[in-house]
Amino acid sequence: MTRSRLIRLVLAVALAVVAILVSRRVGTPQPDGEAGPRRGGRLVASFRTEPTNFNRLVEAQPVARLAALLTQATLLRVDPNSGAFEPRLATAWTGTPDGLTWTFTLRPNVRFSDGTAFTAADVLFTFQALYDERVGSPLASEMRANGQPLQVRALDDHHVVLTFPVPFGPGLTILDSLPILPRHKLQAALDAGTFRAAWSAGVNPADMAGLGPFMLQEYVPAQHMRFVRNPNFWLTDAEGQALPYLDEIEVAIVPEQNAELLRLQAGESDLTTGGTRAEDLAMLRDAEAAGRIRLMNAGTAIDVSTFWFNLTPGAKAVAGKPWLTDESFRRAVSHAVNRQAIVDTVHLGAATPVYGPITPGHGQWFVPGMGETPFDLGRARTLLTSIGLEDRDGDGVLEDKANRPVRFSLLTQRGNTERERTSAVVQEQLRQVGIAVDVVALDGGGLVGRFTSGDYEAIYFGAQSNSADPANNLGFWLSNGGFHYWNPGQVTPATEWEARIDTLMQQQAATMDRAERIRLFTEVQQLVADHVPALWFAAANITVPVNARVGGVTAAAIQPPVLWNAERLYVTSERR
Amino acid sequence: MRRLAAWVLGGCAVLAAAAPWIAPNDPVSLFADRAFAPPMAWHLRDAEGWHAPFVYRQQLTDRISRTYVEDRQQRVPLRWFSAGRVVAIDPGAGPLLWCGADALGRDLCARLLHGARLSLGVALLGACGALLLGAILGAAAGAAGGRFDTVVMTVADFVLVLPIVYLVIVLRATRPLVIDTAEVFVMMSILFAIAAWPDVARGVRAIVATERTRDYAEAARAAGAGPVRLIGHLVPAAYGFLRVELVLLMPALLVAESTLSFVGFGFDGASPSWGGLLKDSETLTAMYSAPWLLLPAVALFVVVLALQALSGAGATISPGVRRASAVDIAAPRR
Repeated sequence: MTRSRLIRLVLAVALAVVAILVSRRVGTPQPDGEAGPRRGGRLVASFRTEPTNFNRLVEAQPVARLAALLTQATLLRVDPNSGAFEPRLATAWTGTPDGLTWTFTLRPNVRFSDGTAFTAADVLFTFQALYDERVGSPLASEMRANGQPLQVRALDDHHVVLTFPVPFGPGLTILDSLPILPRHKLQAALDAGTFRAAWSAGVNPADMAGLGPFMLQEYVPAQHMRFVRNPNFWLTDAEGQALPYLDEIEVAIVPEQNAELLRLQAGESDLTTGGTRAEDLAMLRDAEAAGRIRLMNAGTAIDVSTFWFNLTPGAKAVAGKPWLTDESFRRAVSHAVNRQAIVDTVHLGAATPVYGPITPGHGQWFVPGMGETPFDLGRARTLLTSIGLEDRDGDGVLEDKANRPVRFSLLTQRGNTERERTSAVVQEQLRQVGIAVDVVALDGGGLVGRFTSGDYEAIYFGAQSNSADPANNLGFWLSNGGFHYWNPGQVTPATEWEARIDTLMQQQAATMDRAERIRLFTEVQQLVADHVPALWFAAANITVPVNARVGGVTAAAIQPPVLWNAERLYVTSERR
Repeated sequence: MRRLAAWVLGGCAVLAAAAPWIAPNDPVSLFADRAFAPPMAWHLRDAEGWHAPFVYRQQLTDRISRTYVEDRQQRVPLRWFSAGRVVAIDPGAGPLLWCGADALGRDLCARLLHGARLSLGVALLGACGALLLGAILGAAAGAAGGRFDTVVMTVADFVLVLPIVYLVIVLRATRPLVIDTAEVFVMMSILFAIAAWPDVARGVRAIVATERTRDYAEAARAAGAGPVRLIGHLVPAAYGFLRVELVLLMPALLVAESTLSFVGFGFDGASPSWGGLLKDSETLTAMYSAPWLLLPAVALFVVVLALQALSGAGATISPGVRRASAVDIAAPRR
């Protein structure tokens, strides 16, 4: 048995080496798409997870967002790079001076993929489903202003009026994530209370309809989703050519990142929809030099993993370790962590050191230099001594006044290379100042379970965000928010500075004046920097690899970084 | 061949025992400018002629592609038996990386040597525990026969069909989130002993059951020997089998430790083991541009091969005895 296992091991290594060698040789360089958009062709992308539901209103997973981007359309779109509004199903909109009421003119002569005409009734239906409690839409919370739903009414078949209950800073940007659904297909399901299951993974594609550039033609579990051109798509390019350019997009389900990379290298995929590891960039650069792929810079990520201690008052997990909740301790940890070393090792230089949750990728919300705590072991030791943490027995580990070792556990996500490696670096760097850290890698579900039950000392984790506007991320900033990591869901703010942040965030969310919003949010960032409730280390620079035959790519630091603009993608040659 | 295998294993044992002195660096120290650095080469000669062994300092020229070049302007002489190490270089010249560095710039040689202590140690302790448990229960069952024999063999069968990897996960869930290296070491050794004893017990039981019908056993019984003393007479007949089992179990448990650490249920990164180190080589990039990260697999391969070679004769002694393997221990039984 042992020998046969050894033989299998040797064979597996040999096969992997052969696969790599082959992958370095296959695929002839393709010309770049300089000749301009070409109509037709098939593009293959890969995605790591299976869809469970194709209805974006009931499924928050990124794969549902991808399916919605391909098959549905919104009233308007926010360009993820410029932040400008683009007309989509609405061709024009006008607002009252107070910014509360907006009248939208819907695009005329638009038909769903099954030929049914699109009217204002579909917009009203979408909002009805969005706020229906039986649906329990994960989008509902972000589609509210100060917790209250938006009011929608139709003036006629082609005009709708949207009313915000209170002034709302993000304004119309929230419409960017709301696909308009077909009333004629889903009204019966909504009435019957079966809306959630109507477009589940087993749905017959013929029962779906959409206003997006593509239609779902086939979903084969564990293999692929196939989308074909929507003949009724309503958008044309500058030359009047009907979009989308592509005939078909196949999204292959490839759960393993190495396999995804191999497929891209071998030309079996045109692009990946997940992130790219820094350590893979060298290999991808070689492929780029050989003309097989292009590497697109999508800018600095707006999602930064967060390191936080459990600051929930009375939490059992941190009982007996009062120093864990001490502001000076957190500041000492911040000084003891060499962020540049994390950038250099974990990200191989392809990242930017950060000291707060707002990165250069957030554009005008980012304040350079805000909260910087330079790497300074001397300062860290002084701060630790000031709260009574000293190495009393000379073993290299600090002890508190009760002679207990300064040791805590840090939970992180198993399988996430960036988080596991950053945790290891932090562990080693804190060892330099006498703080012992036990890194525990848990699967995502186990980690979230520990977080929600409050049974942890420290966590290094983070959630995905697709909006740079802080008002669309109130769950993190407000003390009663579920993503207020260090002390979530507070009934009343636990500290004065958190109460102040609540006030400022509510003010800035209710202000239409952009400059005033930025001023208020800068004050919020300053409060976070002053009280260090959590730590942030590095924001990755996002690089997106695409096959050289793919044109029309505008990479963005959102998910999916290329397919968000699928209707303008084209291929310059047929697949081999 | 067996002599060579014995030398290899002896050498591994010495290297593991002397790891703190042989390893040029601390196994957990990070060198930020050495992420994925390749192994450093010894040199004896440069343009000026022959010299005592020396190395060249590594210089990082491109971080993303992890390109390092040797700084040939200056020789860095090896310093023997200095700073508590067998060999070291001037700290100002950077770390001495005989086997290269991992993704975080940690010395792979140091981690490999320190990892050998845990990996070989837990495999040896687990194998010894399995032999002890299996020999006692197998001998008692073989000597006593009857209902006791049936019960022991039924328990052995039950253990054999247990999906051990799931038991490890359950066992881990019952323990506190953080357990120190010593506790992991003891837990894993006990688990291996429990998982592997049935094979040993079956073999010993068969030998003892046969031996007890022989004349010398009858004579001992006639002379008034009690059950314990009788077992003492019978068990020496299984010594050869136990020796063979030891060298068969060791590689199986070594691979089992690697498997458990690889999937995250063994030692953590701060306590390097060979299985844990292999996690760093699981990415495509490791095979593509940092193949030295596969050195733990090479070490594992060499040690397992040596153990197999050492047990070569044993395979013909007891061809019918079922052998425990990494698959049996670390994966659900089929």
